[in-house]
Amino acid sequence: MGPLYKFGWFDFAYGLQMAGLIGFLFGFVLERAGFGNVRKLTAIFYLRDFAVLKVMFTAIVVCMLGLLYFSLFGWIDLGRVYLLPTYIWPQIVGGLVLGVGFVMGGYCPTTSIAATVSGRLDGLIFIVGMMIGSIIFAEIFPLLEKFYSAGNMGAVRLTDVLHLNSGVVALLVCLMAVGAYWFVEKVENRFGHRDSLPGGSKRAKRIAAGVLILLGLILALINPDRIVAQRPSPQALIKKKVVDMQKPVPGAEKPSSTGFEIVEDEGC
Amino acid sequence: MNQRYANPYLMGALLGLVLLFSFYIMGRGLGSSASFARLATAGVDLVAPAHAKANPYLGKYLSGGRSPLMAWLVFLSMGAALGGLFSAFISNRVKGEVARGPSIGVSARLWLALGGGILSGFAARLARGCTSGQALTGASELAFGSWIFMFSIFAGAYATAYFFRKEWL
Repeated sequence: MGPLYKFGWFDFAYGLQMAGLIGFLFGFVLERAGFGNVRKLTAIFYLRDFAVLKVMFTAIVVCMLGLLYFSLFGWIDLGRVYLLPTYIWPQIVGGLVLGVGFVMGGYCPTTSIAATVSGRLDGLIFIVGMMIGSIIFAEIFPLLEKFYSAGNMGAVRLTDVLHLNSGVVALLVCLMAVGAYWFVEKVENRFGHRDSLPGGSKRAKRIAAGVLILLGLILALINPDRIVAQRPSPQALIKKKVVDMQKPVPGAEKPSSTGFEIVEDEGC
Repeated sequence: MNQRYANPYLMGALLGLVLLFSFYIMGRGLGSSASFARLATAGVDLVAPAHAKANPYLGKYLSGGRSPLMAWLVFLSMGAALGGLFSAFISNRVKGEVARGPSIGVSARLWLALGGGILSGFAARLARGCTSGQALTGASELAFGSWIFMFSIFAGAYATAYFFRKEWL
């Protein structure tokens, strides 16, 4: 059962190696999508190319469905996945400022890495700027401390706010994503340059949209929260796992007692 | 230079699977902005160690008895740099230049990149994450604040895009 690290399958050092691998795939996919190209990134703000939104929403929907189905099949314990806490005011203000930084500098933090390694000097300057911005934040942190913790709602999910179960929320997210794809493609056709946009057959898009909505609908109908709640607590499973772990697994290192801790606001 | 990029829906689905893999293996998602904050912390620690340790925010990265760079996200960012380089290299897209729109000069573009970077670095610390660590990772977990954050990014960018149009168009 996942997350493997939380169940003591490997230690900090092995986790860092996994970070390198996951990061490699992350950077590779971003560059493939064209996110090392600043003009492609910013084209979304001038209604010409919505690749940023398409990649982002698709990744969110695929991962969301994956997490919910994995949890349903008993492959992952969502209670052990680090859930980002909600501090509503700093998140709203931070989001607005990050948006201005995005359209001014042309990148967001991760895409600036893709640009820098592609040889773009402006990407490197953006990174230097981010380091300066981080230091400025730290230097005036005593002044901001109160606002930084304003609107603390704890680890709340959309399900808590909307009072709906995860399955219904998943269906709503799928419908919103498909609606957004349909809308932005209309806008692209109006303002974008046809030849600079990657194509893709209409038929494939319709089938994919249908599959997304179907997967969401299944979750909405079976209510995964209820099924997962009826399971024996994962605590019981852990004890069993630890006994199993007495025999060293080939390739995996011994779990260490000094495993690393996730700092509370290590979101990004 | 090859300007044809991969299908965004396909890349989005792949990115979602990478994120799911990260959740399954480590119980946490992707991210990058904290690695720049950590790099900056390491720099401050090198120049003025007493000052860095006294600062409540930087001190957080320095606690724990190991280098601020011995962190999961720092290794993730290094991997992302290699992965991005590999992808750009195989498509012949590695090129030394200052990327900008046709109606802006090099030095103006670099100053704006610096300004945008400063705003982004500051905002990412304030919001406890950036587009990947907060918006992407949190939204897929259905975290409420992450969805609000994501729509705030779009709102901030669309509201000010008009003023930066000469930089890109």
